[in-house]
Amino acid sequence: MNCLQAKGLWLAVMLFLSGFAQADNMLMSRIPMRAELVLEYVKSSIEEHGYTIAHLQLCDGGMKDFGYESDLYRVVFFGKVDEVRMISSRYPELVSYLPLKIAVIAEKDDTLVTVLNPEALSPFYAEEEIQIQLGRWHSDLVSILEDVRRAIGKRIAAAR
Amino acid sequence: MNAIRLLRLSSLLVLCGLATGAVAAPDGRELYIEHCSACHQIEGQGGIGLPLPAEKLADVSDDYLRKTLRLGRPGRVMPAFQRLSDAQVDAIVGFLRKRTETTERVFSDQPVDGDAGRGQVLYTEHCVKCHGADGSGEGEGTGVTTSRDRSFLVMPSSISNEGFLASAPDGMIQRVIAVGRKWSGMPAFGGAKMTDAEINDVVAYVRSFEQQVEEPEPLEADERPTHVYDSPYDFETTVGNVKAALTGANFRIFPDRLLEQGLTDEFSVNTRQIGIRFCNFSVLFGMLKTEPRLGIVLPCRITIMEREDGSVILTVPNLRVVSRWFNNDELVELWDRMEETFVEIVEEATL
Repeated sequence: MNCLQAKGLWLAVMLFLSGFAQADNMLMSRIPMRAELVLEYVKSSIEEHGYTIAHLQLCDGGMKDFGYESDLYRVVFFGKVDEVRMISSRYPELVSYLPLKIAVIAEKDDTLVTVLNPEALSPFYAEEEIQIQLGRWHSDLVSILEDVRRAIGKRIAAAR
Repeated sequence: MNAIRLLRLSSLLVLCGLATGAVAAPDGRELYIEHCSACHQIEGQGGIGLPLPAEKLADVSDDYLRKTLRLGRPGRVMPAFQRLSDAQVDAIVGFLRKRTETTERVFSDQPVDGDAGRGQVLYTEHCVKCHGADGSGEGEGTGVTTSRDRSFLVMPSSISNEGFLASAPDGMIQRVIAVGRKWSGMPAFGGAKMTDAEINDVVAYVRSFEQQVEEPEPLEADERPTHVYDSPYDFETTVGNVKAALTGANFRIFPDRLLEQGLTDEFSVNTRQIGIRFCNFSVLFGMLKTEPRLGIVLPCRITIMEREDGSVILTVPNLRVVSRWFNNDELVELWDRMEETFVEIVEEATL
């Protein structure tokens, strides 16, 4: 491959990857389906991406126990134990952001699925190893949200 | 041509094809769904973000929409989409126009000739009730579904927001004051209520908010997303001290949860890494009204870890950093205060 071809390939790769670079601090998706069902799709998609669900936090239930009414508000915690061990051993300050979590929030008949973009942490670290890890989580989270949206879209289309 | 060169050329063509497709023909609907619908809803009904009805879009220019996308509303949830290409921004604007079957209303870039001093008097009389003395919009909350004051159809706009002021020309503000916005409950002040000259005075006063913008305290250059503290105590004592300090600060403590719990089997889990999770539900309920997406950083947690050499460290998220990720000034204000509480708790536990 000559120099011109190499430059062309690099440019093409960068353009291709630019979709992933449009990182806001939060990744959000609105799903036109009730939150109880969306939650199940989110859990499936997380597992299909190779993560283990650590636990499910019932925020609405906790608030209700103390007299504060809320629509369904759940947070799914998930991760890969090897990644958690690597981070806790080499970069303990990142442990505060693990396991990863996705919030599933009911908004009438719609559901908001939202997650902190791990790349919000990127500016604080120079280490390549962390940048790669944060980028991988970001890609996985984008993919999880897209898969949920796609799967539910198919379900809605099939029902019509 | 050997196989490797053929593979390289094929990859290049595929990547070029994908890249060209992405750049040449951005799909406004897809971009809207990806970037806007979570807050504004797919049909523009509004949610965390304001509604985007045809009545509103028919009364603004495409330039206003483009600038609003580019600049966002600093501190008011709406992010600045600075990484979208011009073609992508145009595609979103085009999609909004198509969906609402509207065309733009173009305004002059010329500033109006008004007296901000007289305008302030009129503003105080007619506008403060909804928009607040500082133009930030009265009442707590940032959206229309979870947090808005139900006596309003929508949360009053933050007309002192630098993103709004940089997007809206004087002529647009002038028109909104004169004819109102029926869909949002904003009354018309033209005609009997205010003369054209008086409206211009109010516009001049609203424009003067540009000189009064108060931004949240910026982060220190060396501020980190997490605080890490060394504990002078052993693991068990540190855990006990943190719980005692949290109880003293009126937090409810959840059952212990190991960092690796649920990610591996009970025999492999590291029992010397624990998250002390805590909450004050009254405070949380209030905060969720201010920022409905807060769940992605909940619950509050102090993580205590014993290292291989037996030393113990505590890690706590830096709330000043985390709150600024939400682009929500109300949350920043609340969490800057909460951050002080967290620091006090950890200091008490490690004294």
